[in-house]
Amino acid sequence: MVINEIRMILGDPSVTLTGEAALIGDNRIIDSTGLVELCLRLEDKAISMGFEFDWTSETAMSKSRGMFRTIGALQDEFMRQKSSRE
Amino acid sequence: MIVVTGASRGLGRSISERLASKGYEICGVARTVFPASFELASVDVASEAQVREFARAIRDRGIPVTCLINAAGVAAMNLALMAPPATVRSLVATNLFGTMFMCQSIAPLMIRAGGGSIINFSTIAVSLALAGESAYVASKAGVEAYSRTLARELARHSISVNCIAPGPIDTELLRGVSAEQRSSVVGQQIIQRQFEAQDVCDVVELMIDPRSRSLTGHVLHIGGV
Repeated sequence: MVINEIRMILGDPSVTLTGEAALIGDNRIIDSTGLVELCLRLEDKAISMGFEFDWTSETAMSKSRGMFRTIGALQDEFMRQKSSRE
Repeated sequence: MIVVTGASRGLGRSISERLASKGYEICGVARTVFPASFELASVDVASEAQVREFARAIRDRGIPVTCLINAAGVAAMNLALMAPPATVRSLVATNLFGTMFMCQSIAPLMIRAGGGSIINFSTIAVSLALAGESAYVASKAGVEAYSRTLARELARHSISVNCIAPGPIDTELLRGVSAEQRSSVVGQQIIQRQFEAQDVCDVVELMIDPRSRSLTGHVLHIGGV
């Protein structure tokens, strides 16, 4: 799901992305503007799924353990928040 | 919609009433609400949870937010070495954290709306480093620094962020400040006269005008300093 949203933001539905791709740091695949757009898109997704997605957690921007360190980490955090509110 | 904090009194109320009279849709925010010429919501800006809940409610209504004016503020005069910790915490909580929480929660709504303008409030006391106002000045200096940084982060989203820094304006905030003290501050302005709330409202109107969109990261001193 996160990969699809990033593809939409990048405007390239066929771009190859993996869960290991970084969202922050030197090798990030989207810039800060794109990252904010991604968060807003995930917020909308969450609302449609009946929960609020909090993208301001204490560790959000941590390179070592933050939700934005990779696509996979963000996907995991999104699903964790979904589960915790069910 | 324009969101104005501190809308129950002082500059926040004057700004809300001015903009409402000009036809803008205003949602005022204050700790205590009362019948007003504009919508008023009960929110303590120092409470991150309340601010978030307010932002969610605005988002769920689907009304585009194009402007945020953070006029909520508290003041206290204490010598730096004698400032009660509770007073220091209160000043920073409302003036700095309140501004930050509101920006953090409302800016995403403005991004969704395609951009807009954020106006935060500082004070001439920051530039003048007024003795006896260290905690207040520190909280407002934080607002200025935060605003300049936020301006850089939000420029790509077509959101401008500026500060208005008034000198002494005749509001409740100046309760306890003597006429002599006010004169002393006014005497240090470039334009040496005490301005009024309506002068601040004029500048707010300028800053929310789309023609001011090239201005961001500024601190605008009423009266000059």
